[in-house]
Amino acid sequence: METLAPQARAEAAPAAPAPGPGRPTRRPARPRRHLSKDRGDRRFALLLLAPAALFLTAFVLWPLVRFVYDSFFEISPFAGASRTFVGFDNYATAFASDAFQSASLRTLVYTIVVVTAEFVLGLAVALLFTALGRRSAVFRTVFMYPLMIAPVVAGLLWRFLLIDNFGIVNQLLFEAGIISSPGQIQWLSDPNIALFSVAVPDIWLTTSFVTLVLFAGLQNIPGDVIEAARIDGARYPRILFSIIIPLLRPVIAVALIVRGIDAARAFDIILIQTDGGPQGSTTTLSLLIYRTMTRFGDPGLASAMGTVYLLVMLAVAIAAIMLIWRPGSSAR
Amino acid sequence: MNPLETRGKSRILLWVLLAVAIVIYGFPFLYLLLTSFKTPLDAISVPPSVLPETWTLDNYVAALSRGGVPAALINSVTTAVVSTVLSLVLAVPAAYAITRFRTPSGRVFIVAALVTRMVPTIAVGAPLIELMRTLGLTDTSFGLALAHTTISLPLSIWLMASFFEAVPDELSEAAEVDGCSRIQAMVRVVLPVVSGGLAVTAIFAFLASWNEFLFALLLTSVRAQTTPVVIANFQSQFGLDWGGMTALAAIYSLPVILLTLFLQRHIVAGLTLGAVKG
Repeated sequence: METLAPQARAEAAPAAPAPGPGRPTRRPARPRRHLSKDRGDRRFALLLLAPAALFLTAFVLWPLVRFVYDSFFEISPFAGASRTFVGFDNYATAFASDAFQSASLRTLVYTIVVVTAEFVLGLAVALLFTALGRRSAVFRTVFMYPLMIAPVVAGLLWRFLLIDNFGIVNQLLFEAGIISSPGQIQWLSDPNIALFSVAVPDIWLTTSFVTLVLFAGLQNIPGDVIEAARIDGARYPRILFSIIIPLLRPVIAVALIVRGIDAARAFDIILIQTDGGPQGSTTTLSLLIYRTMTRFGDPGLASAMGTVYLLVMLAVAIAAIMLIWRPGSSAR
Repeated sequence: MNPLETRGKSRILLWVLLAVAIVIYGFPFLYLLLTSFKTPLDAISVPPSVLPETWTLDNYVAALSRGGVPAALINSVTTAVVSTVLSLVLAVPAAYAITRFRTPSGRVFIVAALVTRMVPTIAVGAPLIELMRTLGLTDTSFGLALAHTTISLPLSIWLMASFFEAVPDELSEAAEVDGCSRIQAMVRVVLPVVSGGLAVTAIFAFLASWNEFLFALLLTSVRAQTTPVVIANFQSQFGLDWGGMTALAAIYSLPVILLTLFLQRHIVAGLTLGAVKG
């Protein structure tokens, strides 16, 4: 269509003086049909877009505007109580608070842990499936099943698996001789490691997504490039880092951006495992905002935190798309 | 054959690696299933055992006869179905307009749909509480379905746009030359061609609602509560009732897991489409 459009415009030009809707008696000349059709198309397209646009305006854009607007007010949690305009006070409070700073840091750490683990494991499994070829198809299906499980279920399940005294993970590690007593690793109750432990179910749940996306990308790598490198004596690690990963770049970018956004927004999977504890060590931004809003009853402050969070997410995502994906260059 | 496919002896090693990966990956849910067949005491025994000592369906009976559980299952289905229908009805025309006519408004729209994916759920959820109260939809399945559609609609638009992209423009043009109106060309000629894509989009919209938790937590309390919230609240006076929880989690997850097995090719297509095509 990109190539078609200018052509259509050039054809339409001579017929410009007669754009009337009246149907000519003879078969309409192509150019005229195109001109009136273009305008009709545009109107039809708007008509088709309108319902979805209205819906998103009413149920996403409007709530967001309200959310940002609330961040400039001091709001009492009791219904019908007063609101006072306080300017940027909530933002000042948010930035000055330890809770907000450490939650931001935790969100960052959590996101990096999840995305890195999923990328390394996802790529490894995708390469494994590729190396094994068509016969591995059945196992690809098996590998995909966690994607269908609710994050709440995954969180609870892993909380159960990692429980200190009767968790099966510690028991198996103990039986394998890796740890000296079944209660040695306090996965979810040791504040030093809890943030990493709560990331496990998230990694378990969505590494398959990264695998599937990278696997699909691997199938599109031109065979002759790999053959040529092999003939030149390149070994597998060299082929991986110099050919495969650079060629997969756009696909990797999409997978990591999608997963990064979701990991940074993770809520239910953490809430269900630790409720932000122990000692707040797993309170990420979404949990902090949720609590500030519902339990501490300060919607104004929560909105300010949320607005900062939203802006940072948008900025990082856009920067990531520009930097890694590089639309318009080597990527398609 | 893919040039990255390995030949020779090292294949055996790779199969072993894959087997290990599958076991590690499959074990958690298998353990959930096994636990759901244990007696409540067996489920929290120290040390834990992998296999149940005595196999029993008690946890399933207890979970299903618990107040609110059957209603929550029905609510989950209702909400997910309504939300899926709503997303498809809104997404299909929008995606068609974006790919078929390529107007500037369409381009703005698809970027806007991408941006909504980045919005933290709580930033939409909190104001939605008030909006739903104004609309009189607090604690109703329809209200929750509307909220879930804010998640599934952008996704559905992206997916459907990729599927429409694969249909040559000539098809609808030919239909219009043959006397179809624009709407007829879309509904009668193009839509049947992408019916597989419609199915994929429907599955993803359904799953988005089926597994959603935060909106359900914020917008429902008693009547419209969905199963994820109930599972999360599966407390007994001794703490979490693991036996009952695993049983309900199995009931809730198995249908969608079986769905993946049967429809796996479609689901893989849906998951990878947007990403690989860029």
